[in-house]
Amino acid sequence: MHIKLKNLKRDYGTLHAVQDVTLDIPSNTIYGIIGRSGAGKSTLVRLVSMLERPDSGEVYYDDERVDNLEGKALIQRRRRIGMIFQNFNLFSSRNAAGNIAYPMEICGMDRVHISKRVEELLSLVGLQGRGSAPISTLSGGQKQRVAIARALACNPDILFCDEATSALDPQTTRSILALIKELQAKMNLTVVMITHQMEVVRDACERVAVIDSGRIVEEGTVSDIFANPKSEVTKDFISNLTNVKDSIVRWSDEEGRFTLRFRGNTTDSPIISNVSIETGATFNIRAAGVQEVSGEDIGVMVVDIGPDEKSVRAAVEMLRKYGVSVEGEV
Amino acid sequence: MDAQLISQVMEATGETLIMVLFSTVFSLVLGLPIGVLLHITGKEESGGIIPSPVFNNVLSRIVNVLRSFPFIILLIVLIPLSRVIVGTSIGTKAAIVPLSIAAAPFVARIIESALKEVDPGVLQAAKAMGSTNWQLVYKVLLPEAMPALISGLTLTIINLIGYSAMAGTIGGGGLGDLAIRYGYQRFRPSYLVAAVIIILIMVEIIQVAGDMIVKKMMSKR
Repeated sequence: MHIKLKNLKRDYGTLHAVQDVTLDIPSNTIYGIIGRSGAGKSTLVRLVSMLERPDSGEVYYDDERVDNLEGKALIQRRRRIGMIFQNFNLFSSRNAAGNIAYPMEICGMDRVHISKRVEELLSLVGLQGRGSAPISTLSGGQKQRVAIARALACNPDILFCDEATSALDPQTTRSILALIKELQAKMNLTVVMITHQMEVVRDACERVAVIDSGRIVEEGTVSDIFANPKSEVTKDFISNLTNVKDSIVRWSDEEGRFTLRFRGNTTDSPIISNVSIETGATFNIRAAGVQEVSGEDIGVMVVDIGPDEKSVRAAVEMLRKYGVSVEGEV
Repeated sequence: MDAQLISQVMEATGETLIMVLFSTVFSLVLGLPIGVLLHITGKEESGGIIPSPVFNNVLSRIVNVLRSFPFIILLIVLIPLSRVIVGTSIGTKAAIVPLSIAAAPFVARIIESALKEVDPGVLQAAKAMGSTNWQLVYKVLLPEAMPALISGLTLTIINLIGYSAMAGTIGGGGLGDLAIRYGYQRFRPSYLVAAVIIILIMVEIIQVAGDMIVKKMMSKR
């Protein structure tokens, strides 16, 4: 299911939570929406998932306009989407199986069919035999698995994940992301992932939109955005990521002046040597490493370039010609 | 112990039980919908499903006014109403009317505060899945709040046992009435002691049973 957002706006008093967001979320992908807290991503997901109405603008699922649905039509449409949350939001009055059964109960499915489907869903998320477990006895990862099973119970075509991994440790986050990826492919889902964690985008998403102060500041494939981030927010997200991950080996604590990003075919040719020979520039490599971003290798290198400003300019120009993204003041 | 005391105490115990039982049921019938309405028409951030500030405000005021009536006055004010509903203005049956009406706003507040404890996130999830408002109430709100509702019910019953002691004013009978008329006014302390002990036992049984049910519920969550 293809999701289209047209000029969405939502204000809370004087706070412009979402201002003029237009986005195209292609069918059958995992689409990330990343932003800092307060950037407007939670409001955006509430607008897209029909939990809240925009002040103006339109939301389309394929060609069906959904932002103005009311009453029965709204309830019927909501039953065909799935949603998971940071705090899982499971019913404590029901056990795991009861939670998964809920969405089927409310649309009046018969008991026999429900209990069969619950078993299927439990094994789909790797919790076979745990149906009778009270929610409080499950770990965070297991809770999110129950929530995923519940979200997928009625075979939705869209799954919204609102900070679905933010309350989980890194290892559990990876296993939940792997599960979401697997289910996405199996069920042809369009998954919209709202997050503030760049590693979630890197590990799971195909495309990403970066939101800041209620606006989309950057949008594209994840490997493009990682190789060539344009906005400050995006650069910030990526650099935080490189500090957190140990894939970049840093052998000098002094900041390098330039960050180079090599992608795809550029990682295989001796670009630095070529540039050095042709422009006479010298490179002092401060840190370097390779990141895998949605299946593509991206090389990152933090360097100082010398010996003088003239060769720095020439070197940067040449690097860019080779398709290397250069970040830093010339 | 003389046989007269025993038979009178038994009779009074029966009257108290009848008054408490029926007024609990009727105050629930009246108070539950009001409590649910108070909650679901409240602010969205505190878990309201259909926020309507004006309605909520008016209802809340009415509940407050009813709650601030001293019971003994309500008992007398409602005499004509009792006559209309149960056909008589005196006796155990007649006392059930003011008891129910006095407890209803209390029950409404107890239910409202129990429902407020339900995690708004859980409600939002249920809403996102396409629950109707009615389903949100009976499949999510009430079951999620059940332990708190049972504690509230325990409190209500115990309060009603206390209130029922005043029913003697309109000839309602019961243990409180017996204690005052025989024990206090006729200087027969054995009546007073017997009535108090039985009330004590009743309260204790209700409290322990309520706590046990809540504990059992929590152990399954």
